[in-house]
Amino acid sequence: MTRDELKEYIAGHFEGRLKPLESGRYALLYEVSAADLTEIAQALRDDSKLNLNFLCNIAAIDASDHFEAVYSVASLTGNHRLDFKVILPHDNPEIESTQEIWPAANWYEREMWELYGINILKHDNLTRFLLPDEWNQGHPMRKDWDAPDFVRFPELER
Amino acid sequence: MSKLKTQEFMVNMGPHHPSTHGVCRLMLTLDGEKVVKIVPVIGYLHRAIEKICENRTYAQCIPLLDRFEYVTSMSCEYVFADAVEKLAAIEVPERAQYLRVIMLELNRIASHLIFFGTTVMDIGALTPFLYGLRERELIMDLFEMTCGQRLTYNYITIGGVSHDIPPEFIPKCREAVKIIREKLKDYEGLFNENPIWLARTKNIGVLSAETAVAYGVSGPILRASGIKYDIRKNEPYGIYDRFDFNIPTYTHGDAYDRYMVRLDEIRESLKIITQALDGLPEGDIRKKVNPFTFKPPAGEIYNRIENSRGEMGVYLVSDGTTKPTRLKLRGGSYNHLQVLPHVAVGGLVADLVAIFATFDIIMPEVDR
Repeated sequence: MTRDELKEYIAGHFEGRLKPLESGRYALLYEVSAADLTEIAQALRDDSKLNLNFLCNIAAIDASDHFEAVYSVASLTGNHRLDFKVILPHDNPEIESTQEIWPAANWYEREMWELYGINILKHDNLTRFLLPDEWNQGHPMRKDWDAPDFVRFPELER
Repeated sequence: MSKLKTQEFMVNMGPHHPSTHGVCRLMLTLDGEKVVKIVPVIGYLHRAIEKICENRTYAQCIPLLDRFEYVTSMSCEYVFADAVEKLAAIEVPERAQYLRVIMLELNRIASHLIFFGTTVMDIGALTPFLYGLRERELIMDLFEMTCGQRLTYNYITIGGVSHDIPPEFIPKCREAVKIIREKLKDYEGLFNENPIWLARTKNIGVLSAETAVAYGVSGPILRASGIKYDIRKNEPYGIYDRFDFNIPTYTHGDAYDRYMVRLDEIRESLKIITQALDGLPEGDIRKKVNPFTFKPPAGEIYNRIENSRGEMGVYLVSDGTTKPTRLKLRGGSYNHLQVLPHVAVGGLVADLVAIFATFDIIMPEVDR
């Protein structure tokens, strides 16, 4: 599917639930509400014409007043790709896991939880993996996280 | 004699195990020689590249990104520079486009030669490691003569490339292509029909196409599982649509196929390099961009390319200042390490080494 065909198809089949965003000028970028996420994701994957079966990436973004989670998905059969974005509040951000739809999401969501403090609902393994196990100094990828010159590793000071 | 009682036990493979290619730790639960459970533990090589890049200008990000996936640094530079150029709508001069393709493909070959060497070494054949590195040396010399570096190049910059090639590059490069093409026959003669090699790799670690797609497996591993998908062909970036090359695909998805795909890919890359050298135009090598004041307009983009280890991507968010707001790096190995337990559980520990090696996982790409 070419870019324009894809745009038209989405506009026709997902009336308003995928809102096009201007900031993504290159690839198609949409906004999805957090409540709709799993339903839309399932539909995008299972739609026989879209068949977006390949999850490329999930990127969390701290936009200071809110968080964003951007899902980049591709179709291996149809040669098309799109991104969609979920906007989350800055206080107590929560998002439902998409690992049932794209198993690859598991680690991306785990990383989002660990580095941004975005809580993932219905995730089967929310444990630390990039930071040390005893880490208690917040979520380092947040913009308001003050990068200290020196990070203490308790196990090295024993 | 009464029946002996047995129990499962746990073993740590890594972080300093020679066959984990870096610092990956696998917590294995074993039942004798059989692997019952694998828990990958990552983060030993976490350098917070994404966070540091948020506090650097766009030009300063490139040397850091070299360290993102240091076996194919050119790809890391390219995927970022390309994303920035798309955001800022910068036209890259023709000659630079060709030089980029030549360097990317040379780097892909160098990476696959490392794969060849380390994989056969992990499985027990020590000498071919030296053969792989010997041929890679030809490519490293070409890089060194062009930009002075052998591993972290800082070569592909925003708007073009940093140095033009010296006059002796083209004959040397053609000679290297010829030598590598010859030597490939030697590699294949050593392994393709070798009964020990076949016993260690045939039907070992079979990855089905469904699992591969579900877990975001990309690159040579995906193609070894029977899915013909290569971003260079399916979503051409740069000038890849001008070159004539094939996408090698195999069907079984076992360790042997993953090895074969990569050897075939070296041949395809050699084809691309020859075509690019033939078509190399004269002209500028970069569009002037001031590295201190360069500001791409606000916007966001997910850019992806085909690296030797699968899909490499960046999610870049610009707010119109000199520094990126967010730079998310995506490397193929991240997904491949995630799918490893699904492939290796139920096999032997020795097979796990073969699977890990043919997945060609390197840790800087996972930890970032």
